[in-house]
Amino acid sequence: MPNKKSLHIESSGQLCIYCGACVGICPLNCIYLDETRITFDESVCTRCEICVKACPVGAIEIG
Amino acid sequence: MAPTLRPDVLVIGAGPAGSMTAKWAAKRGASVLLLEKRQEIGSPVRCGEGMSKEWLREVGITPGRWINVEVEGARIYSPSEKVFEINEKHAGNEVGYVVERDEFDKQLAIDAANAGVEIRLKTAAIGLLREGGRIVGAKVKQFGETTEIRAPVTVAADGFESQVGRWAGIPTDLALRDMDTCLQYRMTNVDSDVRYCDFFLGKVAPGGYVWVFPKGEGLANVGIGVQVSQVKNLADAKTYLDRWIEHHPGYAKGKKIDMVGGGVSISPPLKQTVADGIMLVGDAARMIDPLTGGGIANGCIAGKICGEVAAEAAALGDPSKAFLQKYERGWRARLEEKLYRNWLAKEKLVTLSDETFDKIVDALAGIRLEKLNVHNILKAVQAKYPEVTQEFAAFL
Ligand code: SF4
Ligand code: SF4
Repeated sequence: MPNKKSLHIESSGQLCIYCGACVGICPLNCIYLDETRITFDESVCTRCEICVKACPVGAIEIG
Repeated sequence: MAPTLRPDVLVIGAGPAGSMTAKWAAKRGASVLLLEKRQEIGSPVRCGEGMSKEWLREVGITPGRWINVEVEGARIYSPSEKVFEINEKHAGNEVGYVVERDEFDKQLAIDAANAGVEIRLKTAAIGLLREGGRIVGAKVKQFGETTEIRAPVTVAADGFESQVGRWAGIPTDLALRDMDTCLQYRMTNVDSDVRYCDFFLGKVAPGGYVWVFPKGEGLANVGIGVQVSQVKNLADAKTYLDRWIEHHPGYAKGKKIDMVGGGVSISPPLKQTVADGIMLVGDAARMIDPLTGGGIANGCIAGKICGEVAAEAAALGDPSKAFLQKYERGWRARLEEKLYRNWLAKEKLVTLSDETFDKIVDALAGIRLEKLNVHNILKAVQAKYPEVTQEFAAFL
């Protein structure tokens, strides 16, 4: 089994400020922002980590 | 399922570009439906709230209570904080207002409503309707209920995080280098000067800048944009901004009362902004000025053109890509040259060392420029630091 990394968006409001920066840059269009809820489609995400860099507050982690 | 709605023009997103598009389409005789996914137009505010003012008349916006502070100029700070002042005398009306963005957005929506536009809040587009390869409207979710809205012309004004353009198959992807990640605090009890918008360049904000936009009475928007390709660690934007504030006592003593963030495209203009039955406008069309990061003026200017073409396409019953090219040609004629020029300048600026920034600002600080343009700036720098201008041979 390939070692599939998991992506975690801290979206409970502890870190995320619902700014949409990650949504706009995800090349696969798999992050969704709905007012104060952010979700992403795990089956589409390639773990490219672009959104991790785009987040101004560091709410996204891949490990 | 609610009944199908059939406006002539469907505009997705009630930011400045969307409201402007809707208003001008209605003024040209179209029936227009404007959708906003949030419950309140203009909120939450996401941007720095600075804008120029020379374009307002062109698009029919009259100054109102959304103006917060009218500044006299801008000050550019080099890394060692040498200052170069840009004022109305040599920058024309490029300098302008610090605004209440929520009030501004609401005013544009009111203008649209007064022109006859229908507005639906809490209504998000969740997909597009297609017929024979043409976009013929959108599937929307309104208060949890899914509806189809059919329209000959659909306009995507859904901002930086635009999905609609991608659904339509119009490439809007950004490379890491083509985007800034931004964070801003509204701060109170700070020593900002209400006469100026301030910009701090260099390593304080890799590939971007720190801004201070005064809002009067000790209040200011203090923010940062960092080029995503230069981000090294988690939350770099926040780390750099906090560090900048810490090193500036006039701000370190202040209190943060609000925090917003977002992405800003700093890319060259898109190759294509229309397809059969659909047009992209504003931040969704990557019309943000890649040098300043400002998107309001360009969004409104393009919005007017977009609305007029949308109404014409609906009236003629021809929303084909070929006809909508009229919008594509229109906005490019008005904006593309400057967008491209500023993108080139930005590409150069992001490569400069702190030392070079210091020399440039130092050379400019000591002289009076008649007119502010790249050529005059480089001439001034050449006179004092000839070695620096070698880097800019292509611009001279
Ligand atoms: S890791 Fe890449 S593909 Fe996955 S959500 Fe982030 S930007 Fe999108
Ligand atoms: S970029 Fe970060 S703060 Fe902004 S919406 Fe995405 S996860 Fe939240």
